[in-house]
Amino acid sequence: MTVHNLYIFDRNGACLHYSEWNRKKQAGISKQEEFKLMYGMLFSIRSFVSKMSPLDMREGFQCFQTSRYKLHFYETPTGLKFIMNTDLSVPNARETLHQIYSTLYVDYIVKNPLCSLGDPLQSDLFSARLDTFIKNLPYFNPRAA
Amino acid sequence: MADEALFQFLHSELIQYIYKSGANGETENGKNITKLEAMGFRVGQGLIERFTKETPRFKDELDVMKFICKDFWTCLFKKQIDNLRTNHQGIYVLQDNSFRLLSQLSAGKQYLEHAPKYLAFTCGLVRGGLSDLGLKSVVTAEVAGMPACKFQVMIQKV
Repeated sequence: MTVHNLYIFDRNGACLHYSEWNRKKQAGISKQEEFKLMYGMLFSIRSFVSKMSPLDMREGFQCFQTSRYKLHFYETPTGLKFIMNTDLSVPNARETLHQIYSTLYVDYIVKNPLCSLGDPLQSDLFSARLDTFIKNLPYFNPRAA
Repeated sequence: MADEALFQFLHSELIQYIYKSGANGETENGKNITKLEAMGFRVGQGLIERFTKETPRFKDELDVMKFICKDFWTCLFKKQIDNLRTNHQGIYVLQDNSFRLLSQLSAGKQYLEHAPKYLAFTCGLVRGGLSDLGLKSVVTAEVAGMPACKFQVMIQKV
């Protein structure tokens, strides 16, 4: 049970924050390209999901899973996107991502007048608290399977 | 009192505004701090009138300082001053280990050079409060590591 990495994108597609805890394999492309790929893919998936949905859509795209990992997605009403890759045993990290937004992002970035919204997140306090929060999650294990 | 977040956002914007409208380079730093402190002074005067409506007269200087540390700070920041020191000759040091307006900024050395801006208004608040209670003073603040900070009050003997 573990968390692999976390991305935070703003509403224009700029990557505000990325951290990883347990990533065994890199993507093989530069970080900038990886962020662009991630954002572009999510944009397409969300649009696809809403078009092809046979019923009225409520939340939209929430997660996808492969045989090795699961990707969770949460978008705030203000357009901020949180993406977390975990292993397969995590059922639904939506609540966790929502907590990251409401307790960490709002408290340490929005309320910090020295962090302008839209810039990459530089507050050390935010990074430290995020790290502690992730490490305290019940499904986090520093040594991945 | 209104929600904490409301005041915090307003306070941050106030500081941004003062700095933007006085933007003549680094040399104007002192002027901006003075403006913020003067604003705090006027607000402090008004606040202290409200808070001391029902309280009896203060016995002496130390009593006034204790009131500032306990009741005044509680009404403003929902906590008390953590430590009050004095040399009994008019100098008081108020220490707050987790100052509300700084706790979201950082937990150590990051952004340290911006910290004084966020303390100027509160220095004015304290000075205004003391002035309406009959004590002329000079209040300064220093930050060694956020979010702890110290306010130094020097009572002036007229």
